Amino acid sequence: MNLSSLSVQKLTSLIVNKELKAEEVVLSYLKNIQERDKNFSAYITVEGEKALNSAREIDQKKNKGKLAGVPVALKDNIVTEGIRTTCASRTLENYIPPYSATVVERLEKEDAVIIGKTNMDEFAMGSSTENSAFFPTKNPWDLRRVPGGSSGGSAAAVAARETAASLGSDTGGSVRQPAAFCGVVGLKPTYSRISRYGLVAFASSLDQIGPITKTVEDNAILTQVISGLDPKDSMSSPLTVPDYQREIKEEIALIKVAFLKEKFIKDIDSEVRDRYFMTLRFLEEAGAELHEMDFPYWEYALACYYIIATSEASSNLARYDGVRYGFRHRRYSNLKEMYQNTRTSGLGQEVKRRVLLGTFALSSGYYDAYYLRAAKTRKLIRQEFESAFEKVDFILTPTTPEPAFLLGEKKDPISMYLSDVFTVAANLAGIPALTLPVGLTKKNLPLGIQIMANFFQESSIFKLAFLLEKKIKFDNNKLNLHRKEE
Amino acid sequence: MKPNIDIDYICSLANLKLTKEERSLIGPQLMKIVEWVNKLEELKFEVSRGEVHTPVSFSLSFRQDKIGNSIPAEKAIASSPEKNNEFIKVPKVFGKK
Repeated sequence: MNLSSLSVQKLTSLIVNKELKAEEVVLSYLKNIQERDKNFSAYITVEGEKALNSAREIDQKKNKGKLAGVPVALKDNIVTEGIRTTCASRTLENYIPPYSATVVERLEKEDAVIIGKTNMDEFAMGSSTENSAFFPTKNPWDLRRVPGGSSGGSAAAVAARETAASLGSDTGGSVRQPAAFCGVVGLKPTYSRISRYGLVAFASSLDQIGPITKTVEDNAILTQVISGLDPKDSMSSPLTVPDYQREIKEEIALIKVAFLKEKFIKDIDSEVRDRYFMTLRFLEEAGAELHEMDFPYWEYALACYYIIATSEASSNLARYDGVRYGFRHRRYSNLKEMYQNTRTSGLGQEVKRRVLLGTFALSSGYYDAYYLRAAKTRKLIRQEFESAFEKVDFILTPTTPEPAFLLGEKKDPISMYLSDVFTVAANLAGIPALTLPVGLTKKNLPLGIQIMANFFQESSIFKLAFLLEKKIKFDNNKLNLHRKEE
Repeated sequence: MKPNIDIDYICSLANLKLTKEERSLIGPQLMKIVEWVNKLEELKFEVSRGEVHTPVSFSLSFRQDKIGNSIPAEKAIASSPEKNNEFIKVPKVFGKK
């Protein structure tokens, strides 16, 4: 039996029925990591022994949880008690957290097995995983290309079958863009749906944890387990978590779908564009009503995002000063110099660039013109989505303007920021959005489609994505995992 | 608005020092990014400090003001760079002039 091709639901049912041992599953995935990860570099830390011990304990348990024996990899900005959590930064290179994130506790409560911590752009700042302080991750579909970012390690690990599922974090597209580049499913839930407690903060009003999985159903199962009110995150929603796994299979009623006006897609890659229209046609054939829609404020989303996110980051990252944890520079003559030398040596270039931009936007004389203007724009973007969802059930967009680009290709920061042109708006508005793979380019690179819906409509998104998944039948077998590095 | 970015001042606020090379790279990049985000000026509206944006529409649920479990001091400071028993060591804040 090829264990790595099995879905989360199948793995769990085999383990619960004692037809398969959790230990065998974990061993099989560890073998994949050992054989393949030298090519992809998806992991920063692999917790083989710990994972095997957990699996053996699960095998002994009488009543097993909903994720019994399922290996899950975590982006290395989700804290894990006793397991190094680096955020791919020199400043936290040896940081061992004294507690675990709520999502980790919820996964473990349902008997998932934490298999390791995945590579990312430092402090989640980037769209290619090239900003990791340690090494870049490579795209399993083409080793010369990036896996996307910032959750590039989490997406590559799922695509390369080095884990059954993973968690990433999404501040402006950091789950969806790498999931699209790697041909897997990624969800950015409604802001507040999933607790951020234990997620290392980048931009707190935008950050959300989201699952990356092989299938839509797997994603629904993981989302269900990790969602819900958490007293440790005052921004977590008290709304009851629906039974996503059950609801996903329910009949989907006649739906109204909005698609983007030409001006939004005129400059994107032609294969991305073709696939976008093909997906819309699929939906029309399935009975959906299509509506072309304009979003006048959307074109301001990226500029708005880069002010809000960097302003919040400049405040959140002030804590890396060498005092309480992490790296401290050896040379200093006073406290201020200790802060400066520590931060200057410990933080990478993209992080410095964003911290400086955010500090500027919040500085005296510029606060009104930049931060407040962006906050107001954000409100207008949110209102634009609210009024759109009075007319339609879903908005469909390409997830990215192009397929995975080459390592080292984007040297100019702005050209890198443009990778998130379709994804940042959902973070600014706070609405849920999911990407699913819908095809391959002529060069065998995956393409993703983004489905957005109104606040807390994850269940509807899963239903539509499940329908599209069945209709499109994305062929993962075209991913050759056994080739040598070119 | 044509901003005048005083990079030394911003670095000092952010507790960062840039090397000569970083300065010559990041300085112009920041200018370019700021010019790029100036696109928001096309939107004609007034901004006011009284207007607050919250990312959620429900009222926040604060937990009760009761003492709960907390991480023991020893465990909490285990990853600190310099410590003395249950205290974190830092350079003197007040010193002789």
